[in-house]
Amino acid sequence: MKDKLDIVAQNVLWNRLVSVCEEQANALMRAAFGAIVREAGDLSAGVFDANGDMLAQAVTGTPGHVNTMAASVRAMLEFVPAEKLNPGDVLVTNDPWLGAGHVFDFVVVTPAFVDGRIVGYLASTSHIVDIGGRGWSAEAHSVYEEGVTFPVMYLRRGKALNEDLLAIVTTNSRVPHEARGDILSLLSCNDTGVNRLLDLMGEYGLSDLRAVASFIFERSAIGTKKALARAPAGVYENKMMLDGYDAPIELKAKMTISDGSIAVDLSGSSPAVGRGINCPLNYSAAYASFGIRALLTPEIPNNQASLDAITITAEPGLVVSAERPSPVSARHVIGQALPDLMLGCLEQALPGEVLAESAGALWTLSLSGAGKTPFTSLNVALGGMGARPQSDGLSTTAFPSGVGSVPVEAAEVASPVIYHSKEFICDSGGAGRYRGGLGQRIEIGSRINEDMFMSAAAFERLRAGPLGRQGGHKGAKGKVSVSDGTQVTDKGMYKIPAGERVILQTPGGGGFGDPSTRPDQVLDEDLTNGLVSTEAAQTLYNSK
Amino acid sequence: MIKISIDIGGTFTDVVAETETGLSSVKVLTTPVSPDRGALEGVNRLLTQLGKSYADITAVIHGTTLATNALIERRGAKTAFITTAGFRDVLDIRYEKRFEQYDLNIEMPEALVARPLRLGLGERILADGSVLQAPQDAEIDALAARIQSEGVEAVAIGFLHSYRNPSHEDYVADRLHKTLGDTVTICKSSDVACEIREFERFSTVCANAYVRPLMSKYLGALKSELNQLGFDGSFLMMLSGGGLTTLEQAMRYPIRLVESGPAGGVALAAHVAREVGSTRTLSLDIGGTTAKICFISDGNPQTTRRFEVARAWRDVKGSGLPVRVPTVELVEIGAGGGSVAGVDSLGRLKVGPRSAGSDPGPAAYGRGGENATITDAHLTVGNIAAEGFAGGMISLAPDNAPAAITKHVQEPMGIADTATAAAGIIELADETMANAARVHGIELGHDIAAFDLLVSGGGGALHAARIAEKLGIKRIIVPQNAGVGSAVGFLRSPVAFESAISVMALLQGVDAGGLSQRVADQLSDVRAIVEEAVPADRIDTSVKVEMRYQGQGLEIALEHAAENFDMDVAGLEAEFVSKYDALVGFTLDNIPIELVSVSVTARERAVPKSQPFEPETGGGAVVTRQVFDLAAQEQVTYRILKRSSLGHDIFQGPAVVSEDQTTTLVRPGWNVRASDHGHLILDRSEA
Repeated sequence: MKDKLDIVAQNVLWNRLVSVCEEQANALMRAAFGAIVREAGDLSAGVFDANGDMLAQAVTGTPGHVNTMAASVRAMLEFVPAEKLNPGDVLVTNDPWLGAGHVFDFVVVTPAFVDGRIVGYLASTSHIVDIGGRGWSAEAHSVYEEGVTFPVMYLRRGKALNEDLLAIVTTNSRVPHEARGDILSLLSCNDTGVNRLLDLMGEYGLSDLRAVASFIFERSAIGTKKALARAPAGVYENKMMLDGYDAPIELKAKMTISDGSIAVDLSGSSPAVGRGINCPLNYSAAYASFGIRALLTPEIPNNQASLDAITITAEPGLVVSAERPSPVSARHVIGQALPDLMLGCLEQALPGEVLAESAGALWTLSLSGAGKTPFTSLNVALGGMGARPQSDGLSTTAFPSGVGSVPVEAAEVASPVIYHSKEFICDSGGAGRYRGGLGQRIEIGSRINEDMFMSAAAFERLRAGPLGRQGGHKGAKGKVSVSDGTQVTDKGMYKIPAGERVILQTPGGGGFGDPSTRPDQVLDEDLTNGLVSTEAAQTLYNSK
Repeated sequence: MIKISIDIGGTFTDVVAETETGLSSVKVLTTPVSPDRGALEGVNRLLTQLGKSYADITAVIHGTTLATNALIERRGAKTAFITTAGFRDVLDIRYEKRFEQYDLNIEMPEALVARPLRLGLGERILADGSVLQAPQDAEIDALAARIQSEGVEAVAIGFLHSYRNPSHEDYVADRLHKTLGDTVTICKSSDVACEIREFERFSTVCANAYVRPLMSKYLGALKSELNQLGFDGSFLMMLSGGGLTTLEQAMRYPIRLVESGPAGGVALAAHVAREVGSTRTLSLDIGGTTAKICFISDGNPQTTRRFEVARAWRDVKGSGLPVRVPTVELVEIGAGGGSVAGVDSLGRLKVGPRSAGSDPGPAAYGRGGENATITDAHLTVGNIAAEGFAGGMISLAPDNAPAAITKHVQEPMGIADTATAAAGIIELADETMANAARVHGIELGHDIAAFDLLVSGGGGALHAARIAEKLGIKRIIVPQNAGVGSAVGFLRSPVAFESAISVMALLQGVDAGGLSQRVADQLSDVRAIVEEAVPADRIDTSVKVEMRYQGQGLEIALEHAAENFDMDVAGLEAEFVSKYDALVGFTLDNIPIELVSVSVTARERAVPKSQPFEPETGGGAVVTRQVFDLAAQEQVTYRILKRSSLGHDIFQGPAVVSEDQTTTLVRPGWNVRASDHGHLILDRSEA
C-alpha cells in the first residue's frame, strides 16, 4: 500500500525538482548583466544527486549549457573530492574543458547538506560579459589570449567569500562590477536552490534523494529507449562543409543507432585551427545530442539517464574536439552546426521526417568603438530555420540556439549605433513544398560618425546556404559587406569607417519537398507578401 | 438607485443589479453577432423582476471579451501599419527565438496587419529623442491615398523611439486625419503604449487599431440604445488592470479591455479581502479548465504591463501577441475541474493541461466523456456528493468516475486501489497549483506563508485546505456568491486609470525637476479621466517608479504618492537598494542605477460595502460522509454542514460545507466559521 502511494509522491517530487531549477534559473536570468544574457537566457541551472548525476534541469536556458553542465559537476568533484566539502562551500570554474566550452561561461556548484552529509548539488552556468583577454572575437591564437581561466576552486569556503578570485575578475575584466555581480548571482541562485531543495526534503521527510533519483533515472531510461527505438537501427554517415575562419572546414559524423541508444563518432572532421572557432568536445556533445533529442525525444526531460542514452565521441585535436591550448571563444560556430549534421544522419534513418538545414550558428554581432568614443555593442542577427516536414521554416528565428535578439531601441539606447533597416530578404528561404524560413537584411552605422570595429567571428554560411530535404532547395547563403565596398570573406576583425554602414544578410533556411508541389494559394500569398519574387515563382516553383 | 453590471463572455452574458436591498442576477446566452441584444435582454429581465425602469438606473458597468475574441478569431478591422522605413517586419521578426526549446514544430502567430499594408515612411528619431530625418508631406499624402484606395478602416502608427519623442507620430497622424477624416481610425504607439521596445509597442498599437472600429461601434450602439430606453446615468467600462474607466476612454483604448472578465473576478476577491480585513491575500480561482492565481496586497491586485493575447501554439507562453497595457497579473495553470488525468510516456501521472471541458466533460457527467478528470477524482474519494451537484443542474452518472480512474490511472500505474489513484490525482493537482503560487510569490518577493488564501470558482474551496497546507498558509477565505464572479466584481471596482512614461536614464544625473513636471502633467491627465466619473475629493493618486541596476533585467517598482511628487534621487536609490537586497540577497556597489519607467495612477477611493448578512437559523440533524484521505490511507468521517446555516460559531474539521455552486472541504486540523459579511473563514487549528 505504502509503496503505491510513493508513486504519486515521487511524481510530485520530480516536478518539484524541476521547479527548483526553474526558480534558480529565473533568479539568475533576472540578475544577469548584458542584454544578450538577459534577453536570451544564455544560462542553465540544475539539481544533482550525491553522486553528481543530474536529476533535473531548468527548461529555461540554451542547449549549449545542458550537457556541458551535466558533466561538469562530476568533473569538478575530481578536483575537489566530496569528502573535502563542508556546508557553505561553493566551487567554481570557467575552464572551457570542464565548463561550457569558453572562458566566458562560469559554472558554480554548491553542495546541499542534511545532517552533515551531502545529499545533492545545485549547479548553474551563465555567460559573463567580459573576463579579459581579447574580448569577444575569434582573433586569439590560443586560449591563453582569451581571458583569465580559473581552474576548479572555492568561490566560498564556509561563510568566507573568495575575495581573491573576485579581485582577479574585477582586475581583468573590462566591465569589472558587472562581472563580479554575475558571479555573485550564480552563487546566490544556488543558495536559493539549496534552500528550496532542503525545504522540499523536509516537507516530504526525506533524508536523501536516492529513491527519487532511481525513480527519475529508471523512468527516463525506459522512456528514452522507447523513443529512440523509433529510428531504425543502422549506421548513418553525414558530412558538411563550413566556411571556417579563412579556409573551409569539414565536419563528419558516423551515427550508430542500436537497441534504443545512439552513438556518434565525429572523427574524421577537420583538425583544430589556429583561431578561436574550435570547439571542445563537451560543447560539441551538448549541441549534437540536442539535435538528436529535439527530433526523437522532445518530451523527455534532461537528466543523467536521458542524456546517457546518447554518446558523442571524437578523436582528440579536431575542430569538434579541440584540446588546450586551442582558442575556443567562438566555439558555437562549430557547435551549433552539429544539430544539422546529426539531422542529416537521422534523415537517412527516418526519411521525410526531418526538418531541412537551418541558418545554424548564431551570428554574433559585436561592434566596438574605433574612434574617440569607447563602446561595445553586442547583439545577434538571426537567419531562417529549415522548413519542417509539415510546415514552412520559421523566419529569422534562432535554431539550434535558444537565444533571441536585443530590440533595436534597446541596442540604440545602450550604444552609439543606428540600425537603418532590419527587414526580411525576399527569396532567401529555400524553395520547397514547405519554404525555408527567411533571412534578414540589417544595415547599421555609427550615430557619432566615428570608425567602428566589427568582429566577423560568427558569420557562417557565407559560402553555401543550408541544404533542403526531400527535393527542397537550399536556403540563401549569407552575405556581409561594408558600404565602402569591402566584402567580409573571413572571420577576422573589420573596420567600418565613419560615415559607412555594415550590411548583413543572414542565411535563409533550406526548403522541404519539391517546390512545384507548393499549393498555388500558398505561393500566391508569398507573392502578395513579397516573400517570394515573381521570377522565383516561375523559375523555382514552376508557377504558371 | 440601481447599479447594473454586464459581463459578456464567450457563451454567457451575466447581468447583475445592485439595489438598496441587495444583489440580483440573470444569466442569458451571449448573442455573438450583436452582443448588445443579449445584454439588453438581461437588463430588461432584471428590471421587470425588480419592477423598475431604465430611468432608475444610476450606473451601468460593463466588461466584455468582445475585443479579445476579435483578436483570437481575427475579426477586426482592415488595418494598415505605418512605421519607420526599413522596419515593417518588426511585427513578424518578433523576439527571434523559439518559445519552446524542444518543440521543432512551433508556429508563431500571424501579425494582425498583413505585410502589404505595413507601410514604411522615411523618418527617423534617435535614441536621445533628436531628429535624424523628418517625415515629408508628399510621402505622407501618398500613403493616405494608398490607405483610401485599399479601403483601410484603421491605421496604426509606430515609429522607432516615439516613446522618447512622439512628434513624428503626432504630425503624421494629424496630416492623415486631415485627408482621411473620421471614417478611418488612427492610433499612435506613443499614445497607446508609451514604452521602449519596438516590437511590443508596435504590437500593442496594431492590436488597439485592429479592434477599435468594432469596439467603438458596439459600445456607441449599446450606450445609445440604453439612452433611448431612458437610461441617463453614468456608463463605465471594466479595464484589464482592475479599474473602471469612462466610455470615451474605453473607445479610445479598447485594447485595455482585453482581460476585463478575469479582472472583474480579481476585483471581487480584492473587495472581499478588504471586507474581512485581509491585507495580504493570495487569490485562487479554480474553474473548469484552468486555475488563476493573483496576489493582492492591501486590497490592491498585483498588476503588470506585460501581457499577451491570442496565443497561437497550444496556449504556450510566448506564442501570443504581446500587449503592453496595465493588466491584473494572473498566473494561469492548466488545472481545473475538467482537467484530464492520465499517464505520460515516462509512466508518470499527469493532470492537465488538456481538459474535457463541459462537453463531453468528466466521465461522471455521463455525456460520453471517457476521460478521468479532477472532478471524477473528487467524486471517487467522496469530496463531493453526486446528489445536488452544481445545484442540481447537472445529474451525474457517479459510477463512471471510479471506472475511468481505474482504466486511465490506477491500472496503467499499478496502483492498488481506485481511491488511492483518485487521491493521487487530486494531490498532484494541488501540488501543481501550490507550486505555481510558490514560484510566482518568490518572483514577487513575497513570503507566501504570511498570506491568506482566498478561493473562488467551482473548485476553489475543494482544493483550498490542502494547497494552504502545502504553502504554510493558515487562513482561507471562501467568499459568498463565489460563483457569480466577474459581474459582481465590476460593481466593486474603483474607477481608475494608469498611464506610463518610459524614461530609460541613469538615476544619477536624471533631470529630476523635469521628470517631476512630467509626472505632474501626466497626473492631471489621468486625474481628468477619472474625474469624468468620480468627484475630485474621492480620488487617490500614486506614482510607480521602476528601477534596475544598469544592464540587469530585474526591475523593481517603488510606489509613492503622486500629489506634489518630487523626484528624490537619493531617497529612491536607498529604497531600491534595500528592496534589491531583500529580493536577491546582496547589493551591487559601483553599478549605476537606471530609471526604467514611471507610471501614474488615479483611482477612486473606497467602494461601498456589500450587505451585512444574517445566517439562517436551525442547523438540522447531523449528517456525515466518508472521505478517503491519502496521507492516512483510510476513510475519514466528515460532517456535512449547510453553508446557509453557518454563523459565527466555530466548527472543527473534518467537515464539508455544501452549497449550490461549490463545496468547501474543511480538512482535519482546520475549523470554519462565517464572517460578518457571510464569507467563510477557515483557520488552521493550532496543533
